[in-house]
Amino acid sequence: MLRGGLIPRRPYIISGASGTGKTILAMQFIVEGLKRDEPCMWVSLDEPPNELKANMATFGWHLDHLKILDATPDIRMHKRTKSVIDVGTTLDVRDMEEVRDIRVSQQLRSMEVSIHSVQKMLKQEFFQHLERTKETYQRIAIDSMTALKMFSMVGIDSRIMIQSFMRFLSELEATCVIVSEHLDTSNIETEFFLARGEIRLHKWLDGSSIRRAVSIEKMRGSGFDDKMRPMTVGPNGATVDPAGKVPLNTTVVHALGSQFLERRVAEQATGSIEKAFEMAEQCRRLGHDVSRIEMDLTRAMLMIQRGELNDATDMVEKVKQGMELLLKPKPEAPVPPPPPEEAHGI
Amino acid sequence: MISNKQSTGIRGLDKMLHGGLVPGRAYIVSGPPGAGKTILSSQFLVDGVEGGEKVLFVALEEPPNELKYNLRVFGWPIDGIEVLDANSDIRRFEPTPILEISTEEEPARFSQIRDEIRKTPDVESHEVSIHSLQQLLKTLFIKRGYTRVVIDSMTALRYFCMKDFEENISTQSFMRFLAESKVTTLLTVETSEAMEMAPEAFLARGEIRLYRVRDESGIKRFISIEKYKGSTHDESIRPFDITPKGIVVHAG
Repeated sequence: MLRGGLIPRRPYIISGASGTGKTILAMQFIVEGLKRDEPCMWVSLDEPPNELKANMATFGWHLDHLKILDATPDIRMHKRTKSVIDVGTTLDVRDMEEVRDIRVSQQLRSMEVSIHSVQKMLKQEFFQHLERTKETYQRIAIDSMTALKMFSMVGIDSRIMIQSFMRFLSELEATCVIVSEHLDTSNIETEFFLARGEIRLHKWLDGSSIRRAVSIEKMRGSGFDDKMRPMTVGPNGATVDPAGKVPLNTTVVHALGSQFLERRVAEQATGSIEKAFEMAEQCRRLGHDVSRIEMDLTRAMLMIQRGELNDATDMVEKVKQGMELLLKPKPEAPVPPPPPEEAHGI
Repeated sequence: MISNKQSTGIRGLDKMLHGGLVPGRAYIVSGPPGAGKTILSSQFLVDGVEGGEKVLFVALEEPPNELKYNLRVFGWPIDGIEVLDANSDIRRFEPTPILEISTEEEPARFSQIRDEIRKTPDVESHEVSIHSLQQLLKTLFIKRGYTRVVIDSMTALRYFCMKDFEENISTQSFMRFLAESKVTTLLTVETSEAMEMAPEAFLARGEIRLYRVRDESGIKRFISIEKYKGSTHDESIRPFDITPKGIVVHAG
C-alpha cells in the first residue's frame, strides 16, 4: 500500500479509535527493525511495560532486546506541594526481558510526565545509546501521543510543545511512528498536521463479527494505494490484504463515523439526494437533459461533505421542485431545454 | 476584468480562474491534509521559474530537505526556487535567550539544500515569530524582487509563530503586509476534515479550495474557486488528479 514502505528518518502517525490495533501495528514495525538488527526503542506512555509485555507475548515475537522507555506517569500526589519531579531525572530504559512488574509509585517523589520531560528522556537515552554502542536508534515508536496530550499538557502552549517535539523527532533522524487517536475531526491536531504521513486503522461491527481495515490518509513524497484494505489481527500479528476490497456501504460508513462522511450528515439529507437521483433518472428516461440537474446534485453532495447541510437541503429541494414540473404529465407544454451546460459527473 | 493574469502553472485551474490569478495579490489554497496544497503551490512557483521569474517558498511546516525529496518525483526545475527555512528549532523551555529568525537569514536555492535536516544548535535555538518573519520578508522582497511567493503554511504560522491573543490581529496585519508588497502570494491553509472555514479566507483576495473525498474506489480529489475578487470564475467543483507530472485539473 505504501509502495515499498515508509520513507526513512521521518515521523508518521498511526491513528484510529481505541481497539483498532494501533499498538500492534506499531510493534510490528519495531519487530521488523529488530529482525534487521536495527536499534529500536519503544516509548511507553499509555501502558505500563509489564502489561505491554504480557499483551505482546501472544504474538510470539522476539522482543527481549527491545529497549523500553517507561514514561507512564505515577499515581499523582494530590498535595499542594511542588515536589513533582521531572521524569528526566529518573530515566528508566530497559530491555524487554528485564521488564517485571509495574513500577510502584514512590512515596515521596512522584513523577509527572510532560512532553518536555519525555523529550529530555528520549534525548538522554538516544545519546547514551550512541555512546555505548556507536549506533543511533533507527526506529522509535511512541505509544501514545493521546495519553500525553490528555494527561500531561495543559494550556495554550501545547501546540508549540508538540511542534517542538516533532522537530526533535525529525532531528533524531530515526523513523518514528506515533500512535494517536484523532479525537475531534473538527480540530487540526498538531501531530497529525506535522507528521509526514498517516496510516489510519478502522474497526466496525458487521453483524456479530468485528471487521478491520487500514487506509493511508497522507504520505508525503510518495504515491500510495488510496483504497481502504481489509486487515486482520491473527496469532502472528496484523495482516493486510493489499488486494482486498472493503465495501463502503452505508452501514460501514456510518459505523466508521466521521472519518468518511461528516458526523453532521443526517441520513435525511443523503436519502433526499438518493431520491432526487431517482427522479433525475426518470426525467432522463422521459428524454430531458439532466446534466444540469446531476451537476447540482453533485454540488449538493459536496456541500454535505463541507457540512453546509442547510444549503445542501435547499439545493436538493429546489432541484426536486424543478424535476416535479418536468415529471408532471403535461404533454402539450414543451419544456424549454436547460442551457447547454457541460455535464460534469463524479 | 484584468487582462494580464498570471498563470498558476496548472492549465485546468487557469481555465477555472478565467485566465489565471490577478498579479500582486494574496490567495488562499485551502484543504484537508493530503489534498495536494503543497504540490499545487510548488507548481505555481515552477511556472514562475520557467518564465525566468524570481520565486520564494517559505517553508514553515516541512524541512526543506524533505520538501526537495518529495518534489523530486515530478521532475520539475525546482533548483531555481529559493526556499526560506522558517521551521522553528526544538524549543528550549529554559529561560535562555532565544534567537529569533533574524534579518540576516538568507533563503537558499533548492540546489543548495542538503539531504539532511538542519540541526538545532546546542547553544541557541532559532525561533520564528510572525513579527520577525514579516520583517525578514519585507527586506527580502525589496532586495530580491520576487514575483511569486508561497507561504506553506499559514496554519503553521498561526499555530507556532503567534501568541494566542494576537492571532487574529497578527494574521490581519500579515495579510495587509502581503497586499502592500504587491507580490502574488499563495498561502496554504489546512482545513480540518470537517472543513471548517479558515479566518484567513476572509482577508484573502481569493480562495482555491481542495477537497478530498474517500469512497470505495479510493480517494477522489476536487477543486473549486470559492472566492475571487475582481474576476469572474468557474463556479463548479471540478475533479483533479495528482499525476507524475503534477496536478491536472479536469476543467471540462
